[in-house]
Amino acid sequence: MYQYDQFDHAMVAARNAEFKDQVERRLKGELSEDQFKPLRLMNGLYLQLHAYMLRIAVPYGVLSSRQMRTFAHIARTYDRDFGHFTTRQNIQFNWIKLADTPQILEDLAAVEMHAIQTSGNCIRNTTTDQFAGAARDEIDDPRPWAELIRQWSTFHPEFTFLPRKFKIAITGATRDRAAIRVHDIGLQLTDKGFDVYVGGGMGRTPHLGHLIKSGLPGEKLLSYLEAALRVYNRYGRRDNIYKARIKILVSALGPQEYARQVEEEWATLDQAQIDAPHAEIARIKSFFPQPAYADKAFDAAALDRAKAADAGFARWVRNNTLAHRRDDHVSVTISLKPTGLPPGDASSAQMDVMADAADRFGYGELRVSHEQNIILPHVAKADLYDLYRLLDQNGLSSANVGKITDMIACPGLDYCSLANARSIPLAQDISQRFADAELTDKIGDLQIKISGCINACGHHHVGHIGILGVDKQGEEFYQILLGGRADEQAALGVITGKGLSAEAVPAALERLIKLYLDLRTDETERFIDTVGRLGRDAFAGALHEPA
Amino acid sequence: MSQLNSSHAPQLVSDQGEVRANGWTLLADDEAIGVDQAVLSFARAVNELDGLNGRYGVRIAPGDDVRLLTPFMSKIALIEVAFPGYRDGRGYSTARILRQDLGFDGEIRAVGDVLRDQLFWMMRCGFDSFLLKDADPAGAIKYARSLYINAYQSAADGLKPVWALRHPA
Ligand code: HEM
Ligand code: SF4
Repeated sequence: MYQYDQFDHAMVAARNAEFKDQVERRLKGELSEDQFKPLRLMNGLYLQLHAYMLRIAVPYGVLSSRQMRTFAHIARTYDRDFGHFTTRQNIQFNWIKLADTPQILEDLAAVEMHAIQTSGNCIRNTTTDQFAGAARDEIDDPRPWAELIRQWSTFHPEFTFLPRKFKIAITGATRDRAAIRVHDIGLQLTDKGFDVYVGGGMGRTPHLGHLIKSGLPGEKLLSYLEAALRVYNRYGRRDNIYKARIKILVSALGPQEYARQVEEEWATLDQAQIDAPHAEIARIKSFFPQPAYADKAFDAAALDRAKAADAGFARWVRNNTLAHRRDDHVSVTISLKPTGLPPGDASSAQMDVMADAADRFGYGELRVSHEQNIILPHVAKADLYDLYRLLDQNGLSSANVGKITDMIACPGLDYCSLANARSIPLAQDISQRFADAELTDKIGDLQIKISGCINACGHHHVGHIGILGVDKQGEEFYQILLGGRADEQAALGVITGKGLSAEAVPAALERLIKLYLDLRTDETERFIDTVGRLGRDAFAGALHEPA
Repeated sequence: MSQLNSSHAPQLVSDQGEVRANGWTLLADDEAIGVDQAVLSFARAVNELDGLNGRYGVRIAPGDDVRLLTPFMSKIALIEVAFPGYRDGRGYSTARILRQDLGFDGEIRAVGDVLRDQLFWMMRCGFDSFLLKDADPAGAIKYARSLYINAYQSAADGLKPVWALRHPA
C-alpha cells in the first residue's frame, strides 16, 4: 500500500500543529464554539447528540494491520472500547473528548493516517472497490488513481469552500462494488481510460450519475476533475443547502450542457501544471504491487473434509469468500453484522484480532467496505480453516455476507441530531428475526439499507429493500422502498405501501420475503430480480397486515 | 491564532504583511467618476470601461462571471473580490481565472468576510491584498504563511506541486 514520504508526513504534521493550536484556544475559551466549528469540521470533528465524534479517513478503504491496531488503541484509550466502520469506508469514534483530539491525531500521524477533509464542503475521501487488486473481474487497479486524487484534493485551495461536500468513487472492475452512480463523480476504469459519471447522489432528491466523458486518459484525470469542480464551484447553488449538491446543477443544466462547460473550462487550464507526470503516476503505482504470494500447497480434499466436518465453516466459505485473481487464494469478508449488534461496530479486541488475522493469513492488509464490513483481500485457500477458527473464537465469523442480515444502517436517532427515527435498533430487530442461518441462505442475496431520515446516510434509495425513518406527528415511522440497487445496473428504489411502525417492520419483511420465496422461479432468481420481473406493486400488499 | 477577532474593523494588508491605507473608493452606480482610484461595480465596468481612459478598480460579487472583463484587462488596476460570507468559495475560482486564464497582473483584493483562517487558500489562488477583520493583520499574514511549506497541487502562487519536487526536471 501507499507509504508516506517526507512531503506527505510534513503535510499531516503541519495540519495537526495548526489544529492543536485551535483546540488549545477553544479549551481556554479564546474561541467560541461558533468560531471553532468551521475549524474543527475541517478535521473531521463533529458535535453529536451526546459527545464529539471523530471521523478518521481510511484512504479508499485500504489499511494495514498496524493502522488497524492504532484504531484498537484509540478505541481503548479514548473511546468506549469500540469504533464504527462507515459506509464511506472510514471509521468513526463516537465518544471523544475534545482535549484528547490533538493526541489522537498525533497517534494517527505516526501510522500515516489523519482526519483531514472527512467533513466540510470539500472533496472528501475517495472510495473504491473493497476487492481492488484482488478481484478476478478487475480490469485495472483503482487504488493508485484514488491516491493520486487524495493528494491533489488535499488542501486544494480553490475547492475548500464548495457549495456542498463532494464525493468521488472509482471502480476498476466489471462489477461495480463502489456504487459509482450515486456519487458526485463516479469513475469507471476501462482499458481505454476513465468513463466519468457526474451528478449522482442520494439525500432527499436522489439522482443517478450521467456519463459525461468516455476514454479520459489517466494522465489527464486531475485537470479534467479540476475543470469539473470549477464549473460546480462557480455555478452550483448556494442559496439552499438542499439544492447545493452537484446533482442539482447537472440536472438543471442538463448533463450535455454541463459536460460542454467542463470541456470549455478544461481547455483554459494549464494542464501540464496540474496533471502529475508519468513518473509520479508510476511512483504511486509502485506502492501497489501484488503481495509476495506464499506458495502454500493447497489440498482441495482437505478443505472439503473440513467443510464436511464443520457446517459453520462450510457456510462461511460459501458466503464470505470471493474468487481471487489467483486460483489458490480468495478474498475473505469479515462480517461486522452479527445478530443483534449495531452494523459496522467493532470492539478494540476485535480490531486487534482482525489485525492479527491480516498478519498471519492476509499479508498484513485489510479493507473497509461500504457495506461496513472488513476484508482480507488475499488469503491462501490453505489457510482458510485456521483463519475461520481464529475469527470464530472472537465473534467475527458471521457467515451472512450479501444476505438479508448484512444490512447497512446509519447512526439514526441514537446518535444523530437530524434523525427522525432510530436505525440501529431496527436493524437489530430485523437481524434477530432472520437469525436462522438456513432461512437466510434460502433467501439468498438481498440488501437491506436503513436511513433514520431523508438525508440517506444509510443508502436506503439503493437498497433492494430500503427503509426510511420518517416522523409522523412526533412518532417514528418507516417507509419501505423496493427495487433499488447500487451496482452496475444502478436504480433508485420507490416507496411502496404505507408507513409502518418500528414494531410492524420485521413482520412486514417476513411476509414480503415469504411472498418472494413463493413467487421466484427458482433459487437462482434473486429478490431484486423477482421484483424486477413482477414489479413492485406485486409486493405492496404483503407489507401490510391482511385486514 | 484563529478567527478570534472576526468582529474587528477591517484593515488593508498586503500578502507581505504590510498594513496600508486604502486609497480606493467604491462608487455607487449613479456617482460620477470624479476621483482617482475609483472602484466600479461589475455591471458598470462591463458597460462603461470600453469608453473610459485610465485604470480603475472593479468590485466583483460571487455570482459575476469574471471573464466578461476580458476585453478590459489593461484598464483595470485593482479587482476587489467580495466574500459576503467566508463559506462562499466562488471568489477563489474568480482569482485563479484572473491570474491563470486572463493573465491579470494587477492587485486582487479580498473584501468582506475575510478571516485569518482563509488567508492561506486565498494567497494560493492569487490574492495579494486583504481587507482583513483581525486585531493583528500583519500577524495574521505571518501565521498564514507559516502553515504549510509545500502544496500537493499547483495554483496561482507559483509554488511547485509536491510531485514536481519528487521528480525534479
Ligand atoms: C451522525 C451524524 C450525521 C449527520 C448529521 C449526517 C448528515 C448528513 C446530511 C445532512 C446528508 C445529506 C447531504 C445532502 O444531501 O447534501 C448526509 C448524507 C450522507 N451521509 Fe451523513 N450524516 C451523519 C452520519 C453519517 C454517517 C455515519 C455516514 C456513513 C458512514 C454518513 C454518510 C452519508 C452518506 C453516504 C450520505 C448520502 C450520500 C450523499 O452524499 O448524497 N453520514 N449526511
Ligand atoms: S440519514 Fe439522517 S438520521 Fe441517519 S445519520 Fe444521516 S442525517 Fe442522521
